[in-house]
Amino acid sequence: VKLRTVRAKLLAVVLLTTGTALLFAIGGIAAYDLRAYRANAIADITAEAELLGQASAAALTFDDPAVARENLELLRQRRGLQAAALYGPRGKLYASFSRDASHAFPPLPGADGATVSGNQLIVFRRIVENGEIVGTVYLGADYLLARRLAGYLAIGLAVGAAALLLAYGVSLRLQSLVTGPLLEVAGVAQEVSEKRDFSLRARKLSEDEVGRLVDVFNGMLAEIERMTRGLHSEVAERARAESEIRRLAEELETRVKERTAQLEYINAELEAFCYSVSHDLRAPLRAVDGFSQALLEDFAKEVPEDAQRYLNRIRAATQRMGQLIEDLLNLSRVSRAAIERREVDVSAVARKVVADLQVRDPARAVEVHVWDGMRADADPRLLQAALENLVGNAWKFTAKREQPRTEVGSMRDGPRTVFFVRDNGAGFDMAYADKLFGAFQRLHAAAEYPGTGIGLATVQRIVSRHGGRIWADAQPDKGAAFFFTLDAAMEAAA
Amino acid sequence: MASLIGRCALVLALALAPAQAQDGSVRIKAAFLYKFGGFVEWPDSAFSGPQAPFVIGVIGGDAFAAELEDVTVGRRVHERAVAVRRLGAGEPPRGVHVLFIGASHDARLAELAAAARGQPVLIVTESLSSTERGSMINFVLAENKVRFDVALPPAEAGNLRISARLLSVARRVIARVS
Repeated sequence: VKLRTVRAKLLAVVLLTTGTALLFAIGGIAAYDLRAYRANAIADITAEAELLGQASAAALTFDDPAVARENLELLRQRRGLQAAALYGPRGKLYASFSRDASHAFPPLPGADGATVSGNQLIVFRRIVENGEIVGTVYLGADYLLARRLAGYLAIGLAVGAAALLLAYGVSLRLQSLVTGPLLEVAGVAQEVSEKRDFSLRARKLSEDEVGRLVDVFNGMLAEIERMTRGLHSEVAERARAESEIRRLAEELETRVKERTAQLEYINAELEAFCYSVSHDLRAPLRAVDGFSQALLEDFAKEVPEDAQRYLNRIRAATQRMGQLIEDLLNLSRVSRAAIERREVDVSAVARKVVADLQVRDPARAVEVHVWDGMRADADPRLLQAALENLVGNAWKFTAKREQPRTEVGSMRDGPRTVFFVRDNGAGFDMAYADKLFGAFQRLHAAAEYPGTGIGLATVQRIVSRHGGRIWADAQPDKGAAFFFTLDAAMEAAA
Repeated sequence: MASLIGRCALVLALALAPAQAQDGSVRIKAAFLYKFGGFVEWPDSAFSGPQAPFVIGVIGGDAFAAELEDVTVGRRVHERAVAVRRLGAGEPPRGVHVLFIGASHDARLAELAAAARGQPVLIVTESLSSTERGSMINFVLAENKVRFDVALPPAEAGNLRISARLLSVARRVIARVS
């Protein structure tokens, strides 16, 4: 049987305890009484037999069956006695008495003593007179142990039922003493879990174990309430901090956007300015050059020799300025043009650049070695511009070598491809390497090696617009090498 | 032990056998006489000492005395050995506790009773109306069985106490002199 409630359990305990106590009490009393009953019955009937023997000794001694029968007849008054008999000294039935005519007397007397046979208690007792056995008494009496036991059972059942009923009633009334406080705690616990209200408290209805439970429970509630309050304030604090951070980030972003927009605007303005200036500067420059040439060709005889020399210098200066403007325009274009990547045969592009240079400067005999099979994913126009500058530089700075040599190649460095352009020209001091790629930065005198100082700046712009990197390695009079990559992803992976 | 019990049983059987023949009645009377001792109390003064025997005196009846001797062999009365004494004519009944007077000597009853008066001597007789003449227990034949009458006054006079159990089996009890 499963007991689901404390009430049921308490009830079971009370009833079980009461029942067990009753069972043992009634059982004990019954056992004691039945034992006493047996002992008393035996003692009584033995005494009875002794008396009868005494009374009948004379009748047996002096052979008077009438008196013997009279003595036996007296026993009719004795309740519970069913049969009595006297046996002679030789064991012959001498006189008898029985309530029930069909009573079977034993043919011979048994040994002295009491025996229980069914519901009969039977006793034999020798009659001794003057040291001689004069006969034997036989008595048979009711022995109602079973009936007595049944009586006890009935009384036990009745008393047990009454006691259990009483215990049931009493425990029902007393249970509220135990379960009341428990139900109070359980109710509050349920309310707390349903309403999430940790400020509720259970009422303490008793000072027992349940009372202690209530104290502990209330203590826990107080602790939870305190922690919850702390948690709430912490969460609020954190939310405030987060919103502050978000606000600052947004502010920063808008400021960055504003700045970027400003910078883009300024940059565009600057480039537009630069382009228009460069473009607009070319027209007057062409006029200066053109008219100087016209003077030299049309008035060769009228213009004195010194003046012709000056005019030639004017023309050289204007041409150099024109080149400068061209380079600036290139730089500007490189910066603004959209990149259109495709598969490019780098070797072919390099050879075309070399061929152009040879056409433009046939007097130079530079040994240029271009590796075969170099390919790249790049904007072909911009790549060509970069190679024109780099190979052009090599061409220019090997001018004073007896055996000028230039090499264009590539090598793998992990996942990336590094292209290089190498020469055995003038080289430079690595101390100035950081100035190499700035516009208008020159490491050599213009008289020695002509140039605008914009070439490497342009190359660097092209490489960086591809997402690559450019660097150099050189020694004065021992040549220079320029390395570059063209792939942002590869660069990042490296 | 077995032989002893057997002998006892035999003796008792003889004692309780129906008294039909003359011999049978003698034997039964002898047995009864001896057994009366157990139902009567004598004062201590009747015995000279703790070892003194219980003496049964017999007057007139050699056959009876012989029978009595047979019956009492090895038996004790009141924890005392039993002695049978045959009393001759004129011999006073001194030192006896039971005095049996046979029918042939009934004439001497009055004399002997007077001599024993006040003494603790149980006088037993077997003749008619002897209880009116000083006898205390008198054998009678009733319905072919040996029975007896008891007269209490002479016994009381002799300081003898006769058990009520003996009275219960007496044919007649004479309580006072009529």
